Amino acid sequence: MAKSILRQEWLGLAVIAVLGFVVMATLRPSFLTPFNLFVLMSTFALATLIALGQMVTLAVGQLNLSLGSVGGLVAVSFAGLMDVWHWSAAPSLMAGLALGALAGALNGILIAQFELSAFIVTLATLAMFKGLNLALTKAQPFYHIDRIVSAFGNASIGGPIPAVLIPTVMATAVVAFIFYRLPIGRQILAVGGNSSASELSGISNKRAVITAHVMSGALAGLAGMVAVARLQLGQPTIGEDWLISSFAAPVIGGVALTGGHVSIVGTLLAVVIVALITQGLVLFAVDPFYVQLVLGGLILVAVGLNSLRSLLPIGYSSL
Amino acid sequence: MAVGRSSRSQPNEEASTALGLLLLIVIAFAVFSWTATGFASPYNLYTLTRTAGLNVLLGLAMMVVIATGGLDLSVGATGVASAMFAGYLMQDFRFQMVIAIVAALCFGGALGFCNGFVVVFARVHSFIVTLASMSIIFGAMIVLTKAESVRDLPASFLALGKIRWFGYLSPMLIVSVAIGALIAIMLRWTDLGREILASGASSRAATLSGVRVGSRIITVHALSGMLAAAAGVMLSIRNGAMVPSMAGNLGQEWLLPAFLAPVLGGTLLSGGRAWVLTTVLAALLVTELTSGMLLMAIGEFWVQFALGSVLLLAVLLEKGRSTLMGTGEGI
Repeated sequence: MAKSILRQEWLGLAVIAVLGFVVMATLRPSFLTPFNLFVLMSTFALATLIALGQMVTLAVGQLNLSLGSVGGLVAVSFAGLMDVWHWSAAPSLMAGLALGALAGALNGILIAQFELSAFIVTLATLAMFKGLNLALTKAQPFYHIDRIVSAFGNASIGGPIPAVLIPTVMATAVVAFIFYRLPIGRQILAVGGNSSASELSGISNKRAVITAHVMSGALAGLAGMVAVARLQLGQPTIGEDWLISSFAAPVIGGVALTGGHVSIVGTLLAVVIVALITQGLVLFAVDPFYVQLVLGGLILVAVGLNSLRSLLPIGYSSL
Repeated sequence: MAVGRSSRSQPNEEASTALGLLLLIVIAFAVFSWTATGFASPYNLYTLTRTAGLNVLLGLAMMVVIATGGLDLSVGATGVASAMFAGYLMQDFRFQMVIAIVAALCFGGALGFCNGFVVVFARVHSFIVTLASMSIIFGAMIVLTKAESVRDLPASFLALGKIRWFGYLSPMLIVSVAIGALIAIMLRWTDLGREILASGASSRAATLSGVRVGSRIITVHALSGMLAAAAGVMLSIRNGAMVPSMAGNLGQEWLLPAFLAPVLGGTLLSGGRAWVLTTVLAALLVTELTSGMLLMAIGEFWVQFALGSVLLLAVLLEKGRSTLMGTGEGI
C-alpha cells in the first residue's frame, strides 16, 4: 500500500499542496479562520469544474477554447430563465446543463463529423457563444435569481465547508466513473493516445470525440451556474478569465497534452495549489495581477518538467 | 501534400483563392453601399482602411507562425506590452518617436524570440507555450504599468493618427500592405522563406535536407512578435494613447481577427503553405464585413457572433473544397 502510494505520479503535487498549506498557516494565522477556509474551498469548487472541463478534451487529444464562453452563456441563460421567465431553480439547472451539453455537442460534431481542427472550431464557437451571450443580455447582468440559488451559493454544509462543493464532488465522481469504469471513458483515452490504433481496434473515434466535448460543455455549464450561485447574479462576464486556469490545472496535474492520459487526483491537487497561491497573494497583500504571471510560469515549469522527464531513460519516467 | 501534385499548381490555387476573396470584397461593397447608409462615405472608408491596416498586421503575425505549423496565442499580449513599452519611452524618457517605435518592434521581437526558444528547447507545442506566455506577458505588463494608460505623447506621434490621403485612405493600410509585400518576397524568393515553409511542410524532411528547423521556428516567432508590436503601435497611434486594455483581457480580443485572415486566406494550419496576398485580402474582407454590419446597426455583439460563424464557414468550405478536389489537404 505504502509503496503504491509512493509510486503515484501525483505524490510530488500532494507534497507541494501540504507544504503550501502548512507554510500559509504558519506565516498567516488568519489563513485558518473558518471564513478564509470557506472562501478557499468555494474557489476550489469552481476551479475544479473548469479544470475538469478542459481535462476531458485534453484526454481525447484536443482542446476547448470555448469553455469559458459556454460557461458564460449557460450562466446568463440559467439566471435569465429565473429572472425573466420566473422558472424555479431545478428546471433552470436542468436547462443549463442541457444547454452546456448541447454547446459541447456542437463543438464535437463539427470537429468529428467534418474532421476540422478543434482549435479553430472552438475559437469560432468561442466568439459565437460570447456574441450570443452579450447580444441576449445586452451586457447587463440578471439580478433576480431564485432565492434557493443565492442561498446555496453562501451556504455551508458544516463548519467552513461550502455547499457549492456538492456539485463539484458529484461531477468529479461522475467524471472519474466514466474514465475508470465505463467503456466510453477507456475509448476516449484510447482515441487520445493513438487515434489510428483506436479506429483499427473498432472504436468509434467520432463517438469518443463527441462524448468528450459533450462532457466538457456540461462541466463548463455547471461551472457557470456555480459561478452564478457564488456571485448571486447572472453576470455576462462569467467565464472570461477561465482560459488560462482551465489549462493550468490539468497541465500541472500531469494530464498529457497529447491525449490518452488523465490524472483526476493530479488535476484536483493542481487546483488546490493554484487556489493556495491565489489566496497567498491576497493574504500577503500582493498585487492580484501577479496571479497571471504565476499561472503562466507554472504552466511553463510543468511542461518543461514533463519534457525533461521524457528525456530520462525508461523506468525513471514514472517518477 | 498529395503525391503527384506539382508545386507549380500552388500559384494557381493562390490566384483562384485571391480572385474569390476579391469577388466577395466587391459583392460585400456593393451590398453594404446599398443597404448601410454612409458605408461608402469618405470618412467610413478612411476608418475602414485604418482598421484594415491593423487586421492585416494581426493576420500576418499569425500567418508566419502557422507557416511552420505552430501558432501564437500571445500576439495580443505582446502587441499591447510592446506598445506600452514605446509609450513609456516617449512619455517618461522623452525618447524620439522613431527610436521608441523601433525599440517597441525589437521588444516585440525579443518576446517572440523567447516564445520560439521555449517551443524549440522544451519540445512543447507552441499552443501551450504561447498560452503561458500570454498570461505572463500580460500579467507583467499590468503589474508594471499599474493598468494605467500612457497619454502624454509627443505631438509628432499623435499627428500620425490624423494623416488622411485623398480623403478616404489611411496610410496605415499602405504600411501594412508594404510589410506584407516584404514578407511575401521573403517567403517566395529567399532561402529563409523557403526553409520556413519547408519546416512547416515536413520538419523531418526539412531536417534531413539540412534545414535548421529549430532556428526557423525561433525566427517566425520573433517575426510574429515584431508584427504584433507593429500592430500594437498602430492601434496606439489610432487611439492617441497606449491603453493596457486595448486588446481585451490577456489580449484575447486579437485572436479572432488574427486567425480569421490566414484561415480565410487558405493558409494551412498544419504548416507548409502560407499565402500573403490572400491573407491581406481576407483581412480586408473581414474589416469590410465588420464595418458594414456595424453600420447596419445589428449590434456589435451579433457582429462577434457573425465573425465566429465566418471562421467556421471558412474551414467547412476549405474542407469541402479539398474533399471534392481529392487533394487530401485540409485545415
